[in-house]
Amino acid sequence: MNKTIFIKKLEKALEKLPPEEQQDVLEDFREHFHAGLQEGKEEEEIANALGSPNQIAKEIIATYYLDRVEEKSNVGNIFRAVWAVIGLGFFNLIIVLGPFIALLGCIVGGWAVGIAFVCSPILLLLDFMFYPDSFRLFDLFASIALTGLGIFITIAMFYVTRFIAKVFVRYLSYNAKLVKGGLKHA
Amino acid sequence: MNIQFKKGALELCVLALLDKQDRYGYELVQKISDNIAISEGSVYPLLRRLTKEAYFTTYLQESKEGPSRKYYHLTDQGRKYLHQLNAEWNEFTEGVNELLKEVVIDE
Repeated sequence: MNKTIFIKKLEKALEKLPPEEQQDVLEDFREHFHAGLQEGKEEEEIANALGSPNQIAKEIIATYYLDRVEEKSNVGNIFRAVWAVIGLGFFNLIIVLGPFIALLGCIVGGWAVGIAFVCSPILLLLDFMFYPDSFRLFDLFASIALTGLGIFITIAMFYVTRFIAKVFVRYLSYNAKLVKGGLKHA
Repeated sequence: MNIQFKKGALELCVLALLDKQDRYGYELVQKISDNIAISEGSVYPLLRRLTKEAYFTTYLQESKEGPSRKYYHLTDQGRKYLHQLNAEWNEFTEGVNELLKEVVIDE
């Protein structure tokens, strides 16, 4: 692989980044090649020592998304960061995707319970419309109580979701720092 | 353990190299790869991350031959981080060496 191919591969792998960021990275590597050539090295030799352009790009993209998600942790940014960190290596697939799916399940479950509780009088009303004979006063009071409980659960879920997202983003950054060494045979 | 350990070591090497003087990317990479087997490209993502974390600042400087080079400068925050990492490293290696002295290793 010579300089042109290396830079091209890197550019392709960095497509997701904003153009200024891409240029900045590519400039670093052009400079690296230039300095190496001045020392009398071959382009191939320099490219080989640098390693895989794809792996380099993955690390840079993961750093970029982690940075973004720390600034603004909305759903899209979290998903992109998770995806980028998973891409770093097989190990991450397990230690990131596993907890992510588990936490996502808990959050979705919590919201579903809260919303279902809040809506329970509507369900009771529907029930009453279709089967007027089945109406019992107990059901009415129970559903009103559930609504109250549901409102509490929904409000709590709002804070729980924010908290979990924050902790999980930290966990992601921690992983990206540790996993995938740049060392050979690592 | 191994991989995590090496990645931390690479970070310490980069910080340490910038303690006394500013250096450019290629120079940093060569200094490290003279001593440790690394895939050289991975130093650049690390440099970007540490710059984003405000441990380094960068500036461009003309070189005698050809285009200008990006130099990395260690900030006060970076120096503090370097001292912390260095202390952790010393404590760790001393512990391991102590342990190795106590036991006999069969080759």
